[in-house]
Amino acid sequence: MTASLRAMGALVRRALNEILRVPGGAIPGVLAPTIFMLGLSAVFGKASHLPGFTASDFRTFIVPVGFLQGASFTGAATGVNLARDIEQGWFDRLLLSPTPRPVLLAGLVGSASLRALMPASFLLVVALIVGVHWPGVLGLVVAGALVMGLACVMALWAVMLALRFRTQQAAPLMQIGGFIAVLFTTAYAPQALLTGWLRDVARINPVTHVLDGVRQGFVAQVTWGKTWPAFVAVAGLMLVLGALAVRGLRRVGV
Amino acid sequence: MPAIEATKLEREFKGGLRAVDGIDLAVAPGEVYAFLGPNGAGKTTTVRMLVTLLRPTGGEARVAGFDVARQPAEVRRRIGVALQEAALDLLMTGRELIELQATLHGIDPRSVRSRGDELLERVGLTEARDRRVGTYSGGMRRRLDLAMALIHEPQVLFLDEPTTGLDPVSRLTLWDEVRRLKGEGTTVFLTTQYLEEADQLADRLSIISAGKLVAEGTPGELKAQVGRPHLDITLSDGADPGDANRVLERFGELQPPGPDCHFSLRVGHGAADIAPVVRALDEAGLRVASLQVIEPSLDDVFVAKTGRHLEGASEQREAAADAAGSDGDR
Repeated sequence: MTASLRAMGALVRRALNEILRVPGGAIPGVLAPTIFMLGLSAVFGKASHLPGFTASDFRTFIVPVGFLQGASFTGAATGVNLARDIEQGWFDRLLLSPTPRPVLLAGLVGSASLRALMPASFLLVVALIVGVHWPGVLGLVVAGALVMGLACVMALWAVMLALRFRTQQAAPLMQIGGFIAVLFTTAYAPQALLTGWLRDVARINPVTHVLDGVRQGFVAQVTWGKTWPAFVAVAGLMLVLGALAVRGLRRVGV
Repeated sequence: MPAIEATKLEREFKGGLRAVDGIDLAVAPGEVYAFLGPNGAGKTTTVRMLVTLLRPTGGEARVAGFDVARQPAEVRRRIGVALQEAALDLLMTGRELIELQATLHGIDPRSVRSRGDELLERVGLTEARDRRVGTYSGGMRRRLDLAMALIHEPQVLFLDEPTTGLDPVSRLTLWDEVRRLKGEGTTVFLTTQYLEEADQLADRLSIISAGKLVAEGTPGELKAQVGRPHLDITLSDGADPGDANRVLERFGELQPPGPDCHFSLRVGHGAADIAPVVRALDEAGLRVASLQVIEPSLDDVFVAKTGRHLEGASEQREAAADAAGSDGDR
């Protein structure tokens, strides 16, 4: 058990090391959610004046979407990095170690959860500077935990694809999954204001619950009723995608 | 119990390509075993099955006493592997990499640093240990790869074409390390397309062609299978070919004389036959202008068994020709 934890820690450190050694590589993923937040709030800022809009300020409403986008980018990057490691043979080295397969997976995914805090932190600082409502410590802790959880979910998705296709050419598939999952929710407007297919998709999309969980502290108060569905959604997605990723990992080699 | 044992081992890929077609092999503990074959013959597929990176589609294989398909984790604990491409994270330093490898192999954290440093010293990378691997030369990367494969003191070491693309000095350094490992009792399974490498290092070798083993034995045994050594003799101008024939016939099978009093004599022992042959020619008043012992090479074995030359053999022939040319220039 201790050896497994040490192995997991070593893999997480390796992934984080990459950010330190090639900081330029992390810049797009860190900046994109902030640019998204600033751009969308400039274009759709007045949407918050619509009757039924649950936030008084569109920027405050859209910031949590940026958090989840950052988590999604980070998760996809984990899959792309794994595909690169597969192409370059590094992954064989991991498979040749006696470390149990689920521990290898946990190391990869665990690094994504930590890396997701980078774009979230940058976005939070910019958001607070431009006047976004302070979510409170509890709201921030809940949001942070959910962002880390969703990063794991998206990393599992991307890892599953990396193991399936074994090439970085699968990167668009890894990224598109995150886009769909995050944006086909109540990302732009509350559920009551959505219409047509987007309303239906947002209603059944589990990431809507995650977004509501992250958003609650920004637009109102943290409540148990908004918190538990968010964590259940993350846990459920992790369970399903984790099982698929472990299955993919077991199909690689013996 | 063999360190490596394969019985009717097979690997068939989608589309019906049978890369490995029912091979049997047994490698004794402490043996250096070379696995020869051209590109695409099935060497790497075989190694990937033996090291648990690829599931066999038929047959069985045991490494260090454990079944590769049923007990892969046990196999992984006991093997070290340096694959064909030294797969290294170029952003990490040599020391970081070897310590990561040690951690993945569950080595006690208190001894990770000392064990890593010891191995880096052994492969001559102490000076470079805190540099990023991206700055290493090809030879340094191979040596680091080898050090990483040895971090947990494996019983069986797999080296997949460890010297391909290396300069001669790096190649010799790696050979020395393989010899040292053999001296320490490590079983080494070495795939190579360099015949000289197999000749220099291997206790036994096998040749794989189109997924099947076509020959197995010690280098000496395999060479003996394809023919006896012969002496290439050129006599001085004016020698009587008839006299030479009568003398040489006593020592072996004589080929018809070529131009310039050139004779090819198939003998029983090779170098040991030189002295009596030269003495007999001298007693008959025939002066030897030049004499060369031609031993069957592993390339001859390869050609005899597969009907083709090994890719590496042509490079080696050219290198030998170049070397001979430069010798002659001096």
